[in-house]
Amino acid sequence: MLKYIVNQLNLKNNNMKFIIFAGTPGSGKTSIIKHIIGELKNDFKLFFAKFDCLQTSDDERIAKEYGILAVKKLAGELCPDHYTALEIPKIIKENQNKDIIILETAGLCLRCSPYVKEGLGINVLDITSGDPSRYGPILTQADIVAVSKGDLISQAEREIFRAKVLRANPSAKIIEVNGLTGEGAIDIAEFIKESLDIKNEKLALKHSMPSALCGYCYGNRVIDENEEHKRASAGKELKNLIPGLNCGKCGYRSCNEFIRAVLDGEAKKNQCQFIKNK
Amino acid sequence: MKNEIKKITILPGVNKFGEKEKFEKIEIKKGEVVAIVGQTGAGKSQLLYDLERLAQRGTKSKRKILVNGKVPDKEVRFNPKRKLIASLAQSMNFFTDMSVGDFLRLHLESRGRKSRQGLIKEVVDEANEITGEAISPEMNLLNLSGGQSRALMVSDVANISTSPIILIDEIENAGIKKEQAIKILVEEGKIVLIVTHDPSLALSADKRIIIKDGGVVKISKTTPKEKGIAHYLNWIENYGLDIREKIRKGEEIKNVEIYCEPVKSKK
Repeated sequence: MLKYIVNQLNLKNNNMKFIIFAGTPGSGKTSIIKHIIGELKNDFKLFFAKFDCLQTSDDERIAKEYGILAVKKLAGELCPDHYTALEIPKIIKENQNKDIIILETAGLCLRCSPYVKEGLGINVLDITSGDPSRYGPILTQADIVAVSKGDLISQAEREIFRAKVLRANPSAKIIEVNGLTGEGAIDIAEFIKESLDIKNEKLALKHSMPSALCGYCYGNRVIDENEEHKRASAGKELKNLIPGLNCGKCGYRSCNEFIRAVLDGEAKKNQCQFIKNK
Repeated sequence: MKNEIKKITILPGVNKFGEKEKFEKIEIKKGEVVAIVGQTGAGKSQLLYDLERLAQRGTKSKRKILVNGKVPDKEVRFNPKRKLIASLAQSMNFFTDMSVGDFLRLHLESRGRKSRQGLIKEVVDEANEITGEAISPEMNLLNLSGGQSRALMVSDVANISTSPIILIDEIENAGIKKEQAIKILVEEGKIVLIVTHDPSLALSADKRIIIKDGGVVKISKTTPKEKGIAHYLNWIENYGLDIREKIRKGEEIKNVEIYCEPVKSKK
Protein backbone atom coordinates (compact mmCIF):
# COMPACT_ATOMS: atom_id res chain seq x y z
CA MET A 1 0.00 0.00 0.00
CA LEU A 2 2.76 2.38 0.97
CA LYS A 3 4.68 1.53 -2.18
CA TYR A 4 1.65 2.36 -4.27
CA ILE A 5 1.35 5.79 -2.71
CA VAL A 6 5.04 6.50 -3.10
CA ASN A 7 4.88 5.68 -6.79
CA GLN A 8 1.94 7.95 -7.50
CA LEU A 9 2.73 10.86 -9.74
CA ASN A 10 -0.55 12.54 -8.71
CA LEU A 11 -1.47 13.39 -12.25
CA LYS A 12 -4.80 15.09 -12.66
CA ASN A 13 -4.53 14.70 -16.39
CA ASN A 14 -4.45 11.13 -17.60
CA ASN A 15 -3.79 12.02 -21.21
CA MET A 16 -0.34 13.51 -21.09
CA LYS A 17 2.39 12.64 -23.54
CA PHE A 18 5.99 13.16 -22.57
CA ILE A 19 8.54 13.58 -25.34
CA ILE A 20 12.29 14.02 -24.91
CA PHE A 21 14.51 15.21 -27.76
CA ALA A 22 18.23 14.70 -27.22
CA GLY A 23 21.23 15.24 -29.44
CA THR A 24 24.58 16.92 -29.60
CA PRO A 25 24.78 20.71 -29.99
CA GLY A 26 24.27 21.79 -33.60
CA SER A 27 22.53 18.57 -34.66
CA GLY A 28 19.41 20.51 -35.58
CA LYS A 29 17.13 19.65 -32.65
CA THR A 30 15.53 23.04 -32.25
CA SER A 31 14.89 23.52 -35.99
CA ILE A 32 13.07 20.23 -36.34
CA ILE A 33 11.20 20.68 -33.05
CA LYS A 34 9.86 23.99 -34.37
CA HIS A 35 8.39 22.27 -37.40
CA ILE A 36 6.89 19.56 -35.18
CA ILE A 37 5.36 22.15 -32.85
CA GLY A 38 3.87 23.75 -35.97
CA GLU A 39 2.26 20.42 -36.86
CA LEU A 40 0.84 19.81 -33.38
CA LYS A 41 -0.05 23.18 -31.88
CA ASN A 42 -3.55 23.52 -33.35
CA ASP A 43 -4.79 20.21 -31.98
CA PHE A 44 -2.95 19.92 -28.67
CA LYS A 45 -2.00 21.99 -25.65
CA LEU A 46 1.79 22.02 -25.73
CA PHE A 47 4.53 22.87 -23.28
CA PHE A 48 8.16 23.19 -24.34
CA ALA A 49 11.21 23.17 -22.07
CA LYS A 50 14.67 23.79 -23.45
CA PHE A 51 17.51 22.43 -21.33
CA ASP A 52 20.88 23.94 -21.93
CA CYS A 53 24.09 24.56 -20.01
CA LEU A 54 24.78 28.26 -20.00
CA GLN A 55 22.53 30.30 -22.21
CA THR A 56 19.69 30.01 -24.71
CA SER A 57 16.88 32.12 -26.12
CA ASP A 58 15.19 29.36 -28.11
CA ASP A 59 12.37 29.21 -25.56
CA GLU A 60 11.51 32.87 -26.15
CA ARG A 61 11.64 32.47 -29.91
CA ILE A 62 9.39 29.40 -29.85
CA ALA A 63 6.94 31.01 -27.43
CA LYS A 64 6.72 34.07 -29.65
CA GLU A 65 6.56 32.25 -32.96
CA TYR A 66 4.05 29.55 -32.01
CA GLY A 67 2.17 31.06 -29.09
CA ILE A 68 2.83 28.15 -26.75
CA LEU A 69 4.19 28.09 -23.22
CA ALA A 70 7.95 27.61 -23.33
CA VAL A 71 10.66 27.86 -20.68
CA LYS A 72 14.42 27.55 -20.47
CA LYS A 73 16.24 25.45 -17.91
CA LEU A 74 19.93 26.15 -17.52
CA ALA A 75 22.01 23.50 -15.80
CA GLY A 76 24.80 25.90 -14.85
CA GLU A 77 27.12 24.19 -12.39
CA LEU A 78 25.25 20.91 -12.51
CA CYS A 79 25.63 17.98 -14.88
CA PRO A 80 22.93 18.71 -17.47
CA ASP A 81 21.46 15.22 -17.48
CA HIS A 82 21.28 15.07 -13.68
CA TYR A 83 19.67 18.48 -13.73
CA THR A 84 17.11 17.40 -16.34
CA ALA A 85 16.08 14.44 -14.18
CA LEU A 86 15.79 16.74 -11.16
CA GLU A 87 13.53 19.13 -13.06
CA ILE A 88 11.20 16.64 -14.79
CA PRO A 89 8.84 16.07 -11.81
CA LYS A 90 8.44 19.83 -11.34
CA ILE A 91 7.67 20.33 -15.02
CA ILE A 92 4.99 17.64 -14.97
CA LYS A 93 3.49 19.00 -11.76
CA GLU A 94 3.30 22.53 -13.10
CA ASN A 95 1.80 21.56 -16.45
CA GLN A 96 -1.08 19.29 -15.55
CA ASN A 97 -3.34 20.91 -18.12
CA LYS A 98 -1.10 20.14 -21.10
CA ASP A 99 -1.53 17.34 -23.64
CA ILE A 100 2.06 17.08 -24.77
CA ILE A 101 5.24 18.09 -22.96
CA ILE A 102 8.30 18.44 -25.17
CA LEU A 103 11.78 18.55 -23.62
CA GLU A 104 14.88 19.40 -25.57
CA THR A 105 18.27 18.59 -24.10
CA ALA A 106 21.80 18.05 -25.28
CA GLY A 107 22.84 14.72 -23.78
CA LEU A 108 26.23 16.20 -23.47
CA CYS A 109 28.84 13.72 -22.37
CA LEU A 110 27.40 10.86 -24.49
CA ARG A 111 27.70 8.60 -21.44
CA CYS A 112 24.18 9.56 -20.36
CA SER A 113 20.81 9.56 -21.91
CA PRO A 114 17.97 11.61 -20.51
CA TYR A 115 15.21 9.31 -21.85
CA VAL A 116 12.56 7.94 -19.56
CA LYS A 117 10.88 4.55 -20.05
CA GLU A 118 7.51 6.19 -20.47
CA GLY A 119 6.69 8.51 -23.35
CA LEU A 120 8.97 8.86 -26.32
CA GLY A 121 12.75 9.40 -26.60
CA ILE A 122 13.94 10.96 -29.85
CA ASN A 123 17.61 11.28 -30.76
CA VAL A 124 18.42 13.92 -33.35
CA LEU A 125 21.57 12.65 -35.02
CA ASP A 126 23.68 14.73 -37.39
CA ILE A 127 24.69 12.50 -40.30
CA THR A 128 27.92 14.45 -40.82
CA SER A 129 29.06 13.84 -37.25
CA GLY A 130 30.83 10.58 -38.02
CA ASP A 131 30.41 6.95 -37.07
CA PRO A 132 27.27 6.52 -34.93
CA SER A 133 28.84 3.62 -33.02
CA ARG A 134 30.64 6.12 -30.78
CA TYR A 135 27.38 7.33 -29.31
CA GLY A 136 26.17 5.57 -26.21
CA PRO A 137 22.68 5.41 -24.70
CA ILE A 138 21.63 8.68 -26.31
CA LEU A 139 21.41 6.67 -29.54
CA THR A 140 21.02 3.09 -28.40
CA GLN A 141 18.06 3.81 -26.11
CA ALA A 142 16.11 6.17 -28.36
CA ASP A 143 12.70 5.14 -29.68
CA ILE A 144 13.14 7.28 -32.77
CA VAL A 145 16.37 8.35 -34.45
CA ALA A 146 15.86 11.53 -36.46
CA VAL A 147 18.76 11.72 -38.89
CA SER A 148 19.50 15.32 -39.87
CA LYS A 149 21.54 16.98 -42.61
CA GLY A 150 21.14 14.07 -45.04
CA ASP A 151 20.93 16.55 -47.88
CA LEU A 152 24.64 17.30 -47.49
CA ILE A 153 25.94 13.79 -47.92
CA SER A 154 25.94 11.15 -50.65
CA GLN A 155 23.17 8.58 -50.98
CA ALA A 156 25.69 5.80 -50.40
CA GLU A 157 26.84 7.30 -47.09
CA ARG A 158 23.22 7.80 -46.04
CA GLU A 159 22.55 4.12 -46.60
CA ILE A 160 25.72 3.11 -44.76
CA PHE A 161 24.81 5.42 -41.88
CA ARG A 162 21.34 3.95 -41.72
CA ALA A 163 22.73 0.44 -41.49
CA LYS A 164 25.11 1.51 -38.71
CA VAL A 165 22.33 3.20 -36.73
CA LEU A 166 20.24 0.02 -36.97
CA ARG A 167 23.22 -2.01 -35.79
CA ALA A 168 23.55 0.23 -32.70
CA ASN A 169 19.81 0.36 -32.07
CA PRO A 170 17.96 -2.40 -33.95
CA SER A 171 14.49 -1.37 -32.77
CA ALA A 172 14.83 2.30 -33.68
CA LYS A 173 12.50 3.97 -36.12
CA ILE A 174 14.72 6.01 -38.43
CA ILE A 175 13.31 9.18 -39.90
CA GLU A 176 15.28 11.51 -42.13
CA VAL A 177 14.65 15.10 -41.11
CA ASN A 178 15.56 18.48 -42.52
CA GLY A 179 15.39 21.42 -40.15
CA LEU A 180 15.31 23.89 -43.02
CA THR A 181 12.46 22.43 -45.07
CA GLY A 182 10.67 20.61 -42.25
CA GLU A 183 10.97 17.26 -44.03
CA GLY A 184 10.20 14.45 -41.60
CA ALA A 185 8.36 16.67 -39.10
CA ILE A 186 4.96 15.25 -40.11
CA ASP A 187 6.23 11.71 -39.54
CA ILE A 188 7.58 12.50 -36.08
CA ALA A 189 4.36 14.35 -35.20
CA GLU A 190 2.45 11.18 -36.18
CA PHE A 191 4.63 9.05 -33.89
CA ILE A 192 4.08 11.55 -31.06
CA LYS A 193 0.29 11.38 -31.55
CA GLU A 194 0.41 7.58 -31.51
CA SER A 195 2.72 7.35 -28.46
CA LEU A 196 1.29 6.10 -25.18
CA ASP A 197 0.21 8.56 -22.49
CA ILE A 198 2.36 8.53 -19.35
CA LYS A 199 0.74 6.54 -16.58
CA ASN A 200 0.05 7.84 -13.12
CA GLU A 201 3.32 6.43 -11.87
CA LYS A 202 6.71 7.98 -11.31
CA LEU A 203 8.86 8.09 -14.41
CA ALA A 204 12.01 5.98 -14.59
CA LEU A 205 15.23 6.68 -16.45
CA LYS A 206 16.07 4.23 -19.19
CA HIS A 207 19.74 4.37 -18.30
CA SER A 208 21.47 5.08 -14.99
CA MET A 209 23.62 8.18 -14.79
CA PRO A 210 27.34 8.16 -14.04
CA SER A 211 28.26 8.80 -10.44
CA ALA A 212 29.93 12.13 -9.89
CA LEU A 213 31.06 12.49 -6.32
CA CYS A 214 34.60 13.80 -6.37
CA GLY A 215 36.19 17.01 -5.20
CA TYR A 216 35.75 18.52 -8.65
CA CYS A 217 31.97 18.16 -8.23
CA TYR A 218 32.32 20.51 -5.27
CA GLY A 219 34.14 23.07 -7.36
CA ASN A 220 37.78 22.11 -6.87
CA ARG A 221 39.91 23.57 -9.66
CA VAL A 222 43.48 22.65 -8.76
CA ILE A 223 44.47 19.45 -10.51
CA ASP A 224 46.00 17.66 -7.57
CA GLU A 225 45.07 14.53 -5.65
CA ASN A 226 45.31 16.14 -2.21
CA GLU A 227 43.36 19.24 -3.19
CA GLU A 228 40.65 17.07 -4.73
CA HIS A 229 40.48 14.91 -1.61
CA LYS A 230 40.35 17.89 0.73
CA ARG A 231 37.53 19.48 -1.24
CA ALA A 232 35.60 16.21 -1.45
CA SER A 233 35.80 15.71 2.35
CA ALA A 234 34.75 19.28 3.06
CA GLY A 235 31.88 18.93 0.60
CA LYS A 236 30.65 15.67 2.07
CA GLU A 237 30.86 17.08 5.58
CA LEU A 238 28.72 20.03 4.60
CA LYS A 239 26.32 17.82 2.71
CA ASN A 240 25.68 15.85 5.92
CA LEU A 241 24.57 19.05 7.66
CA ILE A 242 21.95 20.08 5.12
CA PRO A 243 18.77 18.26 4.20
CA GLY A 244 19.32 18.15 0.44
CA LEU A 245 15.86 19.46 -0.33
CA ASN A 246 17.00 21.79 -3.12
CA CYS A 247 14.50 24.25 -1.61
CA GLY A 248 16.27 27.28 -3.03
CA LYS A 249 15.83 29.44 0.07
CA CYS A 250 19.58 29.99 0.31
CA GLY A 251 19.50 31.74 -3.04
CA TYR A 252 21.01 28.81 -4.95
CA ARG A 253 18.98 26.49 -7.10
CA SER A 254 20.36 23.33 -5.60
CA CYS A 255 22.13 22.20 -2.43
CA ASN A 256 25.18 21.23 -4.47
CA GLU A 257 25.55 24.70 -5.90
CA PHE A 258 25.18 26.10 -2.37
CA ILE A 259 27.91 23.78 -1.07
CA ARG A 260 30.26 24.85 -3.85
CA ALA A 261 29.57 28.49 -3.07
CA VAL A 262 30.29 27.96 0.62
CA LEU A 263 33.55 26.13 -0.16
CA ASP A 264 34.50 28.88 -2.60
CA GLY A 265 33.82 31.44 0.13
CA GLU A 266 31.00 33.07 -1.83
CA ALA A 267 28.23 32.06 0.55
CA LYS A 268 27.91 31.61 4.31
CA LYS A 269 26.92 28.32 5.84
CA ASN A 270 24.04 29.85 7.77
CA GLN A 271 22.38 31.03 4.54
CA CYS A 272 20.86 27.56 4.65
CA GLN A 273 17.73 27.87 6.78
CA PHE A 274 18.23 24.39 8.10
CA ILE A 275 21.77 24.97 9.43
CA LYS A 276 20.71 28.33 10.83
CA ASN A 277 17.83 26.86 12.81
CA LYS A 278 19.87 24.02 14.19
CA MET B 1 12.88 -9.48 -57.10
CA LYS B 2 9.67 -10.11 -55.22
CA ASN B 3 8.57 -6.55 -54.54
CA GLU B 4 9.64 -5.16 -57.86
CA ILE B 5 8.14 -1.82 -58.77
CA LYS B 6 7.06 -1.71 -62.39
CA LYS B 7 4.75 1.27 -62.27
CA ILE B 8 3.85 4.14 -59.96
CA THR B 9 0.47 5.85 -60.29
CA ILE B 10 -0.33 9.27 -58.85
CA LEU B 11 -4.03 9.96 -58.25
CA PRO B 12 -5.03 13.62 -57.95
CA GLY B 13 -5.27 15.51 -54.68
CA VAL B 14 -5.81 19.20 -54.07
CA ASN B 15 -3.72 22.34 -54.52
CA LYS B 16 -3.07 24.84 -51.75
CA PHE B 17 -6.47 26.48 -52.32
CA GLY B 18 -8.19 23.12 -51.82
CA GLU B 19 -9.12 22.79 -55.50
CA LYS B 20 -8.93 19.34 -57.09
CA GLU B 21 -5.98 18.80 -59.39
CA LYS B 22 -7.02 18.59 -63.03
CA PHE B 23 -5.72 15.23 -64.16
CA GLU B 24 -7.09 11.74 -64.07
CA LYS B 25 -3.89 9.93 -63.16
CA ILE B 26 -0.16 10.10 -63.80
CA GLU B 27 1.58 6.82 -64.54
CA ILE B 28 5.34 6.49 -64.32
CA LYS B 29 6.83 3.25 -65.56
CA LYS B 30 10.13 1.54 -64.83
CA GLY B 31 12.89 3.01 -66.97
CA GLU B 32 11.03 6.26 -67.47
CA VAL B 33 12.45 9.72 -66.83
CA VAL B 34 10.11 12.39 -65.50
CA ALA B 35 10.99 16.03 -64.89
CA ILE B 36 9.19 17.98 -62.19
CA VAL B 37 9.23 21.70 -62.93
CA GLY B 38 7.73 24.82 -61.45
CA GLN B 39 8.62 28.01 -59.64
CA THR B 40 10.47 27.86 -56.34
CA GLY B 41 7.91 27.12 -53.62
CA ALA B 42 5.32 25.81 -56.12
CA GLY B 43 5.08 22.43 -54.39
CA LYS B 44 7.65 20.23 -56.14
CA SER B 45 8.96 18.87 -52.85
CA GLN B 46 5.45 17.96 -51.70
CA LEU B 47 5.03 15.70 -54.74
CA LEU B 48 8.34 13.98 -53.99
CA TYR B 49 7.32 13.64 -50.37
CA ASP B 50 4.01 12.01 -51.40
CA LEU B 51 5.92 9.55 -53.60
CA GLU B 52 8.48 8.78 -50.89
CA ARG B 53 5.77 8.07 -48.31
CA LEU B 54 3.46 6.35 -50.82
CA ALA B 55 0.83 8.77 -49.56
CA GLN B 56 -2.71 7.47 -49.11
CA ARG B 57 -4.66 10.73 -48.89
CA GLY B 58 -2.95 11.38 -45.52
CA THR B 59 -0.65 14.22 -46.56
CA LYS B 60 -1.38 17.91 -47.13
CA SER B 61 -1.94 17.37 -50.85
CA LYS B 62 -4.42 14.47 -50.29
CA ARG B 63 -2.82 12.61 -53.20
CA LYS B 64 -2.92 8.84 -53.44
CA ILE B 65 -0.04 6.75 -54.78
CA LEU B 66 -0.46 3.26 -56.24
CA VAL B 67 2.34 0.78 -56.81
CA ASN B 68 1.88 -1.59 -59.76
CA GLY B 69 -1.72 -0.36 -59.93
CA LYS B 70 -2.56 -1.35 -56.35
CA VAL B 71 -2.56 0.23 -52.88
CA PRO B 72 0.86 -0.75 -51.48
CA ASP B 73 0.82 -2.91 -48.38
CA LYS B 74 2.06 -1.57 -45.05
CA GLU B 75 5.25 -3.62 -45.21
CA VAL B 76 6.40 -1.58 -48.20
CA ARG B 77 5.32 1.71 -46.65
CA PHE B 78 6.90 1.46 -43.22
CA ASN B 79 9.84 -0.94 -43.41
CA PRO B 80 12.80 1.15 -42.22
CA LYS B 81 15.22 -0.92 -44.26
CA ARG B 82 13.49 -0.18 -47.55
CA LYS B 83 13.80 3.30 -48.84
CA LEU B 84 11.87 3.85 -52.01
CA ILE B 85 13.72 6.94 -53.16
CA ALA B 86 17.46 7.38 -53.44
CA SER B 87 18.60 10.90 -54.09
CA LEU B 88 21.33 12.84 -55.80
CA ALA B 89 21.69 16.53 -55.17
CA GLN B 90 24.05 19.34 -55.96
CA SER B 91 24.72 20.01 -52.27
CA MET B 92 25.87 16.46 -51.57
CA ASN B 93 29.45 15.60 -50.73
CA PHE B 94 31.44 12.62 -49.57
CA PHE B 95 32.50 12.78 -45.93
CA THR B 96 34.19 9.40 -45.51
CA ASP B 97 37.98 9.21 -45.35
CA MET B 98 38.46 6.01 -47.36
CA SER B 99 39.53 4.78 -50.79
CA VAL B 100 36.88 4.62 -53.52
CA GLY B 101 37.14 0.82 -53.72
CA ASP B 102 36.87 0.23 -49.97
CA PHE B 103 33.98 2.64 -49.75
CA LEU B 104 31.99 0.87 -52.47
CA ARG B 105 32.63 -2.45 -50.73
CA LEU B 106 31.40 -0.94 -47.43
CA HIS B 107 28.24 0.28 -49.15
CA LEU B 108 27.62 -3.18 -50.59
CA GLU B 109 28.08 -4.77 -47.17
CA SER B 110 25.72 -2.29 -45.51
CA ARG B 111 23.06 -3.38 -48.00
CA GLY B 112 23.68 -7.01 -47.07
CA ARG B 113 25.18 -7.79 -50.48
CA LYS B 114 28.33 -9.71 -51.22
CA SER B 115 31.03 -7.88 -53.11
CA ARG B 116 30.95 -9.67 -56.46
CA GLN B 117 34.26 -9.90 -58.27
CA GLY B 118 34.42 -7.15 -60.85
CA LEU B 119 31.42 -5.17 -59.57
CA ILE B 120 33.58 -2.47 -57.99
CA LYS B 121 35.39 -2.07 -61.30
CA GLU B 122 32.07 -1.82 -63.17
CA VAL B 123 30.88 0.94 -60.85
CA VAL B 124 34.10 2.90 -61.32
CA ASP B 125 34.07 2.33 -65.09
CA GLU B 126 30.51 3.60 -65.38
CA ALA B 127 31.40 6.64 -63.29
CA ASN B 128 34.25 7.33 -65.71
CA GLU B 129 31.76 7.39 -68.60
CA ILE B 130 30.10 10.36 -66.91
CA THR B 131 33.15 12.39 -65.90
CA GLY B 132 36.08 13.57 -67.96
CA GLU B 133 38.53 13.22 -65.06
CA ALA B 134 39.30 9.56 -64.55
CA ILE B 135 38.56 7.95 -61.18
CA SER B 136 40.48 4.91 -59.92
CA PRO B 137 39.52 2.61 -57.02
CA GLU B 138 42.68 3.57 -55.11
CA MET B 139 41.82 7.29 -54.93
CA ASN B 140 40.67 8.71 -51.62
CA LEU B 141 37.01 9.70 -51.62
CA LEU B 142 37.79 13.06 -50.03
CA ASN B 143 40.21 13.99 -52.81
CA LEU B 144 37.68 13.59 -55.64
CA SER B 145 36.67 16.72 -57.51
CA GLY B 146 33.06 17.88 -57.61
CA GLY B 147 32.51 16.25 -61.02
CA GLN B 148 34.20 12.99 -59.98
CA SER B 149 32.14 12.85 -56.77
CA ARG B 150 28.88 13.40 -58.63
CA ALA B 151 29.79 10.81 -61.27
CA LEU B 152 30.62 8.22 -58.62
CA MET B 153 27.37 9.00 -56.78
CA VAL B 154 25.38 8.39 -59.98
CA SER B 155 27.11 5.12 -60.75
CA ASP B 156 26.83 3.96 -57.12
CA VAL B 157 23.09 4.73 -57.00
CA ALA B 158 22.55 2.93 -60.32
CA ASN B 159 24.51 -0.18 -59.40
CA ILE B 160 24.55 -0.64 -55.62
CA SER B 161 21.56 1.15 -54.15
CA THR B 162 18.40 -0.96 -54.25
CA SER B 163 15.95 1.93 -54.18
CA PRO B 164 13.80 1.70 -57.31
CA ILE B 165 13.22 5.44 -57.68
CA ILE B 166 16.03 7.94 -58.15
CA LEU B 167 15.44 11.56 -57.42
CA ILE B 168 17.81 14.03 -59.02
CA ASP B 169 17.65 17.45 -57.44
CA GLU B 170 19.34 20.45 -59.04
CA ILE B 171 22.51 18.92 -60.46
CA GLU B 172 22.76 21.42 -63.31
CA ASN B 173 26.28 22.66 -62.57
CA ALA B 174 27.81 19.39 -61.50
CA GLY B 175 30.48 19.16 -64.21
CA ILE B 176 29.28 15.77 -65.45
CA LYS B 177 27.78 14.45 -68.67
CA LYS B 178 24.16 14.60 -67.57
CA GLU B 179 22.61 12.79 -70.54
CA GLN B 180 24.98 9.87 -70.02
CA ALA B 181 24.29 9.88 -66.27
CA ILE B 182 20.56 9.55 -66.81
CA LYS B 183 21.09 6.86 -69.43
CA ILE B 184 23.02 4.75 -66.91
CA LEU B 185 20.25 5.09 -64.32
CA VAL B 186 17.52 4.20 -66.82
CA GLU B 187 19.47 1.20 -68.09
CA GLU B 188 19.56 -0.18 -64.56
CA GLY B 189 15.74 -0.12 -64.57
CA LYS B 190 15.24 2.82 -62.24
CA ILE B 191 12.41 5.31 -62.32
CA VAL B 192 14.16 8.67 -62.59
CA LEU B 193 12.58 11.87 -61.27
CA ILE B 194 14.37 15.13 -61.98
CA VAL B 195 13.59 18.33 -60.14
CA THR B 196 15.26 20.99 -62.19
CA HIS B 197 15.32 24.46 -63.70
CA ASP B 198 17.84 23.33 -66.32
CA PRO B 199 16.29 23.23 -69.83
CA SER B 200 18.54 20.47 -71.17
CA LEU B 201 17.68 18.19 -68.25
CA ALA B 202 13.96 19.02 -68.27
CA LEU B 203 13.68 18.41 -72.02
CA SER B 204 15.61 15.15 -71.94
CA ALA B 205 12.89 13.59 -69.75
CA ASP B 206 10.12 11.49 -71.28
CA LYS B 207 7.53 13.81 -69.77
CA ARG B 208 7.35 16.73 -67.43
CA ILE B 209 4.99 17.52 -64.64
CA ILE B 210 4.35 21.23 -64.20
CA ILE B 211 3.46 22.35 -60.68
CA LYS B 212 1.90 25.60 -59.53
CA ASP B 213 0.29 26.68 -56.23
CA GLY B 214 0.77 23.24 -54.69
CA GLY B 215 -0.96 21.33 -57.47
CA VAL B 216 -0.12 19.65 -60.77
CA VAL B 217 -1.38 21.96 -63.52
CA LYS B 218 -0.07 20.20 -66.60
CA ILE B 219 1.62 17.04 -67.78
CA SER B 220 3.56 17.42 -71.02
CA LYS B 221 4.90 14.56 -73.06
CA THR B 222 8.27 15.59 -74.46
CA THR B 223 7.99 16.03 -78.23
CA PRO B 224 10.65 14.57 -80.57
CA LYS B 225 11.66 18.12 -81.41
CA GLU B 226 12.16 18.95 -77.72
CA LYS B 227 14.26 15.81 -77.30
CA GLY B 228 16.39 16.97 -80.19
CA ILE B 229 16.80 20.38 -78.59
CA ALA B 230 17.77 18.72 -75.29
CA HIS B 231 20.30 16.57 -77.12
CA TYR B 232 21.80 19.64 -78.75
CA LEU B 233 21.98 21.57 -75.47
CA ASN B 234 23.64 18.56 -73.85
CA TRP B 235 26.10 18.26 -76.68
CA ILE B 236 27.12 21.90 -76.20
CA GLU B 237 27.63 21.36 -72.48
CA ASN B 238 29.62 18.15 -72.97
CA TYR B 239 31.69 19.85 -75.65
CA GLY B 240 32.42 22.56 -73.10
CA LEU B 241 33.55 19.86 -70.64
CA ASP B 242 35.88 18.36 -73.27
CA ILE B 243 37.43 21.75 -73.95
CA ARG B 244 37.82 22.26 -70.21
CA GLU B 245 39.78 19.01 -69.97
CA LYS B 246 42.00 20.05 -72.89
CA ILE B 247 42.72 23.41 -71.29
CA ARG B 248 43.63 21.68 -68.02
CA LYS B 249 46.06 19.44 -69.88
CA GLY B 250 47.74 22.50 -71.43
CA GLU B 251 46.47 21.94 -74.96
CA GLU B 252 45.79 24.73 -77.37
CA ILE B 253 42.17 25.02 -78.58
CA LYS B 254 42.46 25.53 -82.31
CA ASN B 255 38.95 25.29 -83.70
CA VAL B 256 35.34 24.90 -82.67
CA GLU B 257 33.03 22.12 -83.77
CA ILE B 258 29.60 23.35 -84.71
CA TYR B 259 27.52 20.27 -85.42
CA CYS B 260 26.58 17.49 -83.05
CA GLU B 261 25.56 13.93 -83.91
CA PRO B 262 21.78 13.73 -84.51
CA VAL B 263 19.78 12.10 -81.73
CA LYS B 264 19.23 8.37 -82.17
CA SER B 265 15.51 7.65 -82.18
CA LYS B 266 14.19 4.89 -79.93
CA LYS B 267 12.86 1.80 -81.69
